[in-house]
Amino acid sequence: MSAVADKPAAITSRFDPRFEVTLYRHVGVDGAHTLEHYRARGGYRAAEKALTTMTPTQVIDEVKASGLRGRGGAGFPAGLKWSFMPPIDGRQRFIVCNGDESEPGSFKDRYLMEDDPHQLIEGMLIAGWAIQATIGILYVRGEYYLAYERMRAAIAEARAAGLLGRGVFATEAEGEGDEATPASPGFDFDIILHRGAGAYICGEETALMNSFEGLRANPRLKPPFPAQAGVYGRPTTINNVESFCSVTHIIGRGAAWYAAMGTDDSKGTKLYQLSGPVARPGVYEMPMGATFRELIFDLGGGPTEPAKAIIPGGSSTPMLPWSDETLDLPMDYGTMAKVGSMLGTGGVIVVPESQCMVDAMANVVRFYAHESCGKCTPCREGVATWLPKMYQKLLAGLGTREDLTLMEEMVRNLRGTAFCPLADACAMPVAASFQHFRHEYEHLVDHGQPKYPTVSRWAE
Amino acid sequence: MDLPTLQPFFEDKPELLQEILDRYPLGGRRSALMPLMWEVQRAERHVSEARLHEIADIVGVTATEAKGVMSFYSTFHEHPVGRFHLQVCRTLSCKLAGGDELYRALVAETGLVSGETDAAGTFSLQNVECLGSCGTGPVLQVNDTYHERVTRTRLAELLAEMRAGHEPAPTRERGGDNVSAQKAARAEPAAEPAAGGPAEGPADAPADAPGGSSDEEGGAA
Repeated sequence: MSAVADKPAAITSRFDPRFEVTLYRHVGVDGAHTLEHYRARGGYRAAEKALTTMTPTQVIDEVKASGLRGRGGAGFPAGLKWSFMPPIDGRQRFIVCNGDESEPGSFKDRYLMEDDPHQLIEGMLIAGWAIQATIGILYVRGEYYLAYERMRAAIAEARAAGLLGRGVFATEAEGEGDEATPASPGFDFDIILHRGAGAYICGEETALMNSFEGLRANPRLKPPFPAQAGVYGRPTTINNVESFCSVTHIIGRGAAWYAAMGTDDSKGTKLYQLSGPVARPGVYEMPMGATFRELIFDLGGGPTEPAKAIIPGGSSTPMLPWSDETLDLPMDYGTMAKVGSMLGTGGVIVVPESQCMVDAMANVVRFYAHESCGKCTPCREGVATWLPKMYQKLLAGLGTREDLTLMEEMVRNLRGTAFCPLADACAMPVAASFQHFRHEYEHLVDHGQPKYPTVSRWAE
Repeated sequence: MDLPTLQPFFEDKPELLQEILDRYPLGGRRSALMPLMWEVQRAERHVSEARLHEIADIVGVTATEAKGVMSFYSTFHEHPVGRFHLQVCRTLSCKLAGGDELYRALVAETGLVSGETDAAGTFSLQNVECLGSCGTGPVLQVNDTYHERVTRTRLAELLAEMRAGHEPAPTRERGGDNVSAQKAARAEPAAEPAAGGPAEGPADAPADAPGGSSDEEGGAA
């Protein structure tokens, strides 16, 4: 038998007996946010391993080998991103954690910060070592007050325990002669916790840096990329909360363990979020490559009313029509790109048949209109002004067929023309709604009434 | 609300001010802008013009610049909000769980529309965008606290508590792996010492995940 034949099949189902919930193993457990709870379950051993037995390059190589792709939405390979940092030249370097989770349909990072803050601190510590950054910045969105408080308490606990601060994992010299282990000064690392104040655009990495610096959170021109000029113009690497938490386990258990899960282009375990009218909405951890069916039916208990579309990864990702073929698609980066959508944050929203699609998209567009920062013309005029007005006109029953053509054209003109991805995030779902549900738009303009009138959805 | 605007806010809080300024590296003083605004707003429910000038002076920017920053963010208020600042999420997932109706019910109950504060300064209402609680919608944020899966009945209880002058206690709604983790923790009585490191951490049996969590699950159906 060849070595290839011996290689076990990749884990792509939550029900594979080899799979175990890892990132979320403490989430939902009362008291899990304390250092005592975390250390009693092997906490900070991965960081100790990285800082005392691995060089920074070895850590980066391990993360590269794991195949981890950034969990903030873009899916850029994390290890590769880390290797973009310039050589050490005496300037301050920063590792930034983006905890500004605000893409509609995404709610995984909040629970990670609330219930397992030390898992995140450990991941940031490892990443700080890997890129030799002595300051970590954790930017938490303003609305996540409990997460902010829990992170603040956890950082204080970690400082008191010597896990943050000067000389983390410093050791004294041991033994004598040839057997001697020299003293190690340890690693100087601390985290600045910073609270946002309600702006979706702060999830864009350069906007977040501006916000941290006390500026209006307009995105910056790239290049220079953060690795060249990030926070205060210094070399910076920025990752999502879930990415850092994943790093903790990649170092703790090894890249091979992580890469045994998932598909060719998407490795590891991922937090999928399920919302909309389903029996058991929530965050479910699954290996990459698990199907929509497994998430929506096997874990989520299925829709509670007939469904017509699936939004696969937060409201900015193009929707897919509800069908057996869609349900059997593996939720990974490559497959979603192949069917013309994106995995995004893995925030799956089920849209019910009874929900007017024009009304739903008006809601999505209003979100992006509200969050447009107004810096560049296409987004300010297109996203923040024209699109919401067009939807207002349609929903008032005053639209015409020409308006539909105009909207499609506007959306085409928005693609790739704005300063940052926010305009695309608005244009893509609108385009997809026209692609799959143009008949609902036509029904509305022809009859002056939506095909699906508003129904009550509020539970008693 | 009586605001002693003649006395600078941070005048009698030098330690707090120093703690905030010390969070940031040398040369990064401007980063303290937002944390200082947060402190003022928590105490006074808004950041007044006078406070804004004070903060700008502390940080070393012009008041115009500070105002430019403040006005960028939707959770800083120029005018005082109520003792109970009601923030209703209206984005898609909450809409699919009745968020629009929750907002209309609050309009009817308080007589306010988004952006208003009542004359007594008890309630203020604000429509907000996605609060990151999509699996447990509809969500109502009262001051800093999330109230999830707010049903009609639950809203009536919350309003009654607030009208009686109490800040409603937070309740934690669960869903997805939140539920199964709690179950696993109950099934595993004592905290097991970390004999084998992370590789032997308490595993959450996947088969446990979906079913039978009805006791903790609210009105999703």
